[in-house]
Amino acid sequence: MKQDHLQGTLELVILKTLSAAPNHGFGITLHVQQASTGLLGVEEGSLYPALHRLEKQRLIQGEWKKTENARRARIYTLTAAGRQRLTEAETNWATLSKGLQKLLRFA
Amino acid sequence: MKEDWQDEIDSHLEMRGDWNQAQGLPPDAAKAEARKQFGSPLRTWEDIRAVHISIWLDTLWQDTRQALRGFRRSPIFSLTAIATLAIGIGATTAVFSAVDPLLFRSLPYPGADRLVSFGFFGPIDTNEFHLAGMYLDWRTRQTAFESMTSMLPAGTCDLDASTPRRLQCVSVEANFLKTLGIAPMLGRDFLSGENQPGAPRTALLSYDLWRSQFGADPNILGHTLTLDDQQIRIAGVLPKDFEMPQLGGIDVMLPAQWSETAARAPNSTIFLRTFGRLKDGVTIEQARERLQPLFQESLKGVPPELRPEVRLVVRSLRDRQIHEVKLASWMLLGAVLALLLLACANVANLLLARATARRGELAMRAALGAGRGRLVRQTLTEGILLGLLGGAVGCVVAWSLLRVFITAAPEGLLRLNQARIDLRVLLFTLAVSILSALLFGMAPAFERPQAVFRKFLVAAQVAISLLLLTGASLFARSLQKLETQPLGFQPARLVAASFTLRRQKYRTPQAQVAFYRELEERLHRIPGAFALSDSIPPRGSMGRPYSNIRIAGHPPLQPNGGMVGFRYVTPGYFQAMGVRVMSGRSFEEAERATGVPPLVLSLTLARRMFGSENPVGQQVDLDGLGHWGTVVGVAADAKNNGLSEPAGPEYYRLRMDDSIQLGLSAVALFRTAADPDALTPWIRREIAAMDSSLPVTVTKMETRVDAYTNRPRFIATLVGLFAIFGLTLAAVGLYGVMAFLVAQRTREIGIRMAIGATPGNIAALIQKHALVWTGGGVAAGLLAAISLTRLVRGLLFEISPQDPLSLVIAAGVVAIAATLAAWIPSHRAARVDPAAALRT
Repeated sequence: MKQDHLQGTLELVILKTLSAAPNHGFGITLHVQQASTGLLGVEEGSLYPALHRLEKQRLIQGEWKKTENARRARIYTLTAAGRQRLTEAETNWATLSKGLQKLLRFA
Repeated sequence: MKEDWQDEIDSHLEMRGDWNQAQGLPPDAAKAEARKQFGSPLRTWEDIRAVHISIWLDTLWQDTRQALRGFRRSPIFSLTAIATLAIGIGATTAVFSAVDPLLFRSLPYPGADRLVSFGFFGPIDTNEFHLAGMYLDWRTRQTAFESMTSMLPAGTCDLDASTPRRLQCVSVEANFLKTLGIAPMLGRDFLSGENQPGAPRTALLSYDLWRSQFGADPNILGHTLTLDDQQIRIAGVLPKDFEMPQLGGIDVMLPAQWSETAARAPNSTIFLRTFGRLKDGVTIEQARERLQPLFQESLKGVPPELRPEVRLVVRSLRDRQIHEVKLASWMLLGAVLALLLLACANVANLLLARATARRGELAMRAALGAGRGRLVRQTLTEGILLGLLGGAVGCVVAWSLLRVFITAAPEGLLRLNQARIDLRVLLFTLAVSILSALLFGMAPAFERPQAVFRKFLVAAQVAISLLLLTGASLFARSLQKLETQPLGFQPARLVAASFTLRRQKYRTPQAQVAFYRELEERLHRIPGAFALSDSIPPRGSMGRPYSNIRIAGHPPLQPNGGMVGFRYVTPGYFQAMGVRVMSGRSFEEAERATGVPPLVLSLTLARRMFGSENPVGQQVDLDGLGHWGTVVGVAADAKNNGLSEPAGPEYYRLRMDDSIQLGLSAVALFRTAADPDALTPWIRREIAAMDSSLPVTVTKMETRVDAYTNRPRFIATLVGLFAIFGLTLAAVGLYGVMAFLVAQRTREIGIRMAIGATPGNIAALIQKHALVWTGGGVAAGLLAAISLTRLVRGLLFEISPQDPLSLVIAAGVVAIAATLAAWIPSHRAARVDPAAALRT
């Protein structure tokens, strides 16, 4: 897969993660690593540029807060626009995969 | 920003460390593992920054495209705004490029801020000077300067070549260039031994002379040139951009060779121009304090009656150079900034009108999710884009304006020939464009309902244009007074031919007397009144102290009388110059042979010396050296201090037949009934017949006098130009607001007409609005004019800065322009068709 496709997928996964509950970068990392091995690559730091891009696009919003372990962390929340984007992407994805399934069945 | 990113990364590492520890790793290993898992924080930073930059650029590009699309959609708005800004920014740039070399750009010497001019300042001269004997004392004892240096007042010398040339020659102390921090471009600087009288003469050529006379020959060093019949070895060539610190012309620099003995002699008159480089950390103020004791001591050598009129001057080289044009430069800069402000107000007004028209569009974009910040950004982008476009066109305007300035009045401002639009000026233009954009871009933030801010802007424009117009009419009236004042002499149909005899050829008194005798004979053949003089108005010659004058049978005169000028003239002088002899008589030809030289006093001098007593027939000693003479007449005052200063006291001495007192420089005057231009070749022919190598300058007196009004004319033209621009912009602004209001109130007008208002009522209603704002603007403008024009008192001639006529003219012009600008919209309003207006 090309890098920007991968990036787009990573952003989608972040949105999906945050749709369950607000979370910090490390929490998202754990979730992504569990849900999709290898998508983040080896380095956990590569999550952050994606977070910043999403925040600049106002799809998510970050805020400094205390975690339950009394650590300071930047907690990201999905915005209304982010939620809308996620729904659109999921629909697109569903359509695309349905099309693919048909294609594979008839090929 | 970077700290925030770092905090976030740290927080991640800590949480990962906790996690790793929970998985059973020891604390240190847990932290190390966390760092490994995270990867390079530096790369993460870079990636984050790249994200931010690319998003910023994306938005900028979108905003720019959107703004340009918007401009294309409303071309009239865009073109008006850009043209307005181009005028404002262009004029500002042009003026800045002209005054920058005077006010801001550093002088062409390394460490120029530590260079000063210093010396005595007295009524003899307009600039500070030194006397060689005292200078020697100061040089050994001063503690203010790292180095001080001197030059003799600039003079001329004659170059012997295939075509002889008169050159500007300056004799300097050997450390002159070193003190300025300049090294010759070619060859070597002077050596201190070369200042000794009798030392072999060497010279430094100016770059221009090196090119024009020696074809830029790189092997010129060691060659000789013949100056005033002396062989002088060429030691070097001055750099191309070299400038004398007093801004005088220079072709050849020579080591001064005056002897210390001569300098220290009691009656020594070796005058010097003196400059110093301040020691590190010494301010001009401190230097003045440190020189004060030396000055007080030197003052003891000055005749007591002159002491109160002499003071110590220490001032920066820049002040020495620009003291005459400093005020003019700041005034022009102020005037053009006022114009720029007016242009910004105008564009702000246009933007407000457009904002009202676009309220729908903006509301729609806000509804579509554009945040408030995004909309502000969009507005700001539009503003800056307008500013930059205006600035770009403004550069073209500036370039053309500068050409106009230079062509209109090459002598209008010092260093005008150095004014150009270079990178430094362009950076200034860029800054001005962006600043203007921020200024007018803020306008929508201030707007209130009922277009209150727009009305305020219109009033401000009216006020500024009134201020500019007041300035323009003050300068125009001042110039007119300067040009039409009585001069005390008649410049029309008067031709002056000036020349300086070559020192070597006319070394002996006999040679000089013989030359002038033949010259008079030859020039008398030319029809008209003819005279010889050593100097002519509107300049004087160096004078002598008034307090030295003695009158036979009278008590000594009051001290502190300043200086009295004098001229040596032939009998035809008063007739040729057109100076009226008010009492007594003029000189007669017969008096020139022998006897006591007769004297003619100027009216001012006669009044001061004799009060109401009759001066004619009195015996006076005017130089205090025992040269007694008889006063035969009193002549009207003739301008001898330039055109803007009142005439100072002076007297005329008859040039006797055997006199060498005319000296080497003389002016031949001709008053002719014929065309003055036809005289020029005739005069040249007669002089060339005697000495073909003698350079002669022949000018019409009117041209000479005109040269003195160059600067006032330049100022009046520029401020006049700005006032016209300003008035036009203000009128356009007023028209714009009025038209907008009429359009906005069409329904209301329709209702009023439907219930019986006449078209006249409606027009009056609209005009009343215009009257209120212009009235406010005029009032504010008058207040500003009255308080600000005081600052330019120094630039006005025989006119008060609060000259009522100028204020009335300015207010009248503004009122007429405002009425015209309001008339069109008000009549459009009067023609509104109520039926059509109410149906929409």
